[in-house]
Amino acid sequence: MSKALRRILIANRGEIAVRVIRACRELGIPSVAIYSDADARAPHVFLADVAVRIGPASPAESYLSMSVILDAARETGADAIHPGYGFLSENAKFASACAHAGITFIGPPAAVIERLGSKIAARAIAREAGVPIVPGETPADQSTGAVAAAARRVGFPILLKPSAGGGGIGMKTIRDEQTLTAGIEQARREATAAFGDGTLYVERLIERPRHVEIQVLADNHENVLYLFERECSIQRRHQKVVEETPSPALTPALRRRMGEAAVALARAAGYRNAGTVEFLLEGTGDRASFYFLEVNTRLQVEHPVTERVTGVDLVHAQIAVAAGERLRWAQESLTQRGHAIEVRVYAEDPANHDLPQAGPLLLYREPSMPGIRIDSGAYDGGEVSVHYDPLIAKLIADGETREIARRRAIEALRNYPILGIRTNVSFLIDILEHPRFVSGDIDTRFLETEGKELRTRSAGSPPAEALEIASLLRSQSGGLSRRSGGSEVGAAKAEPWETLRGFRG
Amino acid sequence: MAEALGNGRFRVDGRLAYAVGEEQRTWVFIEGHTYVIEGDNRDGDAREHATDDLMALSAPMPATVVAITATPGQEVAAGDLLVMLEAMKMELPIRAARAGRVKALACREGELVQPGVPLVEME
Repeated sequence: MSKALRRILIANRGEIAVRVIRACRELGIPSVAIYSDADARAPHVFLADVAVRIGPASPAESYLSMSVILDAARETGADAIHPGYGFLSENAKFASACAHAGITFIGPPAAVIERLGSKIAARAIAREAGVPIVPGETPADQSTGAVAAAARRVGFPILLKPSAGGGGIGMKTIRDEQTLTAGIEQARREATAAFGDGTLYVERLIERPRHVEIQVLADNHENVLYLFERECSIQRRHQKVVEETPSPALTPALRRRMGEAAVALARAAGYRNAGTVEFLLEGTGDRASFYFLEVNTRLQVEHPVTERVTGVDLVHAQIAVAAGERLRWAQESLTQRGHAIEVRVYAEDPANHDLPQAGPLLLYREPSMPGIRIDSGAYDGGEVSVHYDPLIAKLIADGETREIARRRAIEALRNYPILGIRTNVSFLIDILEHPRFVSGDIDTRFLETEGKELRTRSAGSPPAEALEIASLLRSQSGGLSRRSGGSEVGAAKAEPWETLRGFRG
Repeated sequence: MAEALGNGRFRVDGRLAYAVGEEQRTWVFIEGHTYVIEGDNRDGDAREHATDDLMALSAPMPATVVAITATPGQEVAAGDLLVMLEAMKMELPIRAARAGRVKALACREGELVQPGVPLVEME
């Protein structure tokens, strides 16, 4: 019942499109890239065997447009689609539309995505599988008053989540009655803007938890495996910034309990392909409690750390499972070897509320050194577009020990110049050097409690060396550039990035 | 003394640095730290100044105004929310950089605003 995939269309952009296209090339399967007008010169376009323009920059008219993507697959003879993460990756309608068009969706079946995408159904499955869950509910009446009443029933502190959401977008923590009404309204606005659905889920917030997730792989032949954990406690506004494996909090016994819980849940859900079962972990060691959070029915951004320690290529595994092959491993044959840490390099300004930044990459050089893997879709002379998320690259460091992986990550970041746009590079170094990170004493509120101090550090004024270089550069290039407008705060016209033309020193 | 090594590379104080200039500012990277030095690159003399407070009261990128919480005449404290923007799938709060009084609003709810254009006038 195995049928080799002939040609795979990658319904994504950026680093993950590059990652999946490379996997296709490694497996000798022709690939099809899709791109919006904003991405016409992006690396994934050149890497694929065929590239199809699918529309303007706006995601709704390009990477989120199911009919256009399916047409591109038909026109290019693609018999499978890899959705990457984000965009249509957890969209049951898209998975179903692929199936109807006779195209293999590289992921779980539509019905499984739909069930696990609903927080209520996912919790019911977890309960059925004997996996512990956090108290919470989706109020049937979604008026602000009714959601507030649900919040009081669940008990403060609470977390408001978009019912249709994922990836941490639009989540709000509310600690007391005073901020409840404004918080509900803001959460609803963000949920509506991000997912076109303002339905909110109210959940008890577990204090000082760790975010520990289990990678699972399931084939069409009743085999379900866990590929151990990823600790993703370093997050801000529920978006992950640093991930690692193994988790400093897990003992072999706890790891096995969590792994087996994830497998039980995946079996109960009829899961197929790669997926991630997210848990909140309270406490450490054998006596810690864990609670089921949600299942991400796709490849995760942070999948490389699992690949570094298990030696399993998760994208190859996804493609093999989609082709009907059996998983090539037994649970007992899988091991964690050494340690891996991933940091997400974002175009954002840590000194200014992490505001996402869009703009040109006037100078961009990726470091190359032992134990470092960089997954990126960025290039020197490229840009970070205002239309998409601000992830520039993922830097993954591995080593025999956590300490070596940590030091390698720092060394690589110190040799990773990205100029023309503000990034979180120095902030990442400060996180990795923080005594609590060094000792592994982290929880999901780490950036909330330690972030302020870290940020003031990264907002310092330029040292004399930087000013010297600036003066030298100015004296070299005097008269080369031309002034635009007269605004003190920079270009104020439409399309500012069009008017910014960098030059090299 | 800083020395240009070519192709954006510099040596300063025995360390390797990278730099690139734009019309109004210079970007410098030294061992993981990025510095933005404001100043007109046309003339040789550096006129550095810290990012102006005005910058904090303007959109960092093209964004949509989703809510305006400030009202003209209102006294605000440093860190108070003035305007909520949305771009790149995220809410971007625009907060008062220091205490003061809101003089006038220069945006409307639902408006698409461009970077660098002040949204709120303070006094």
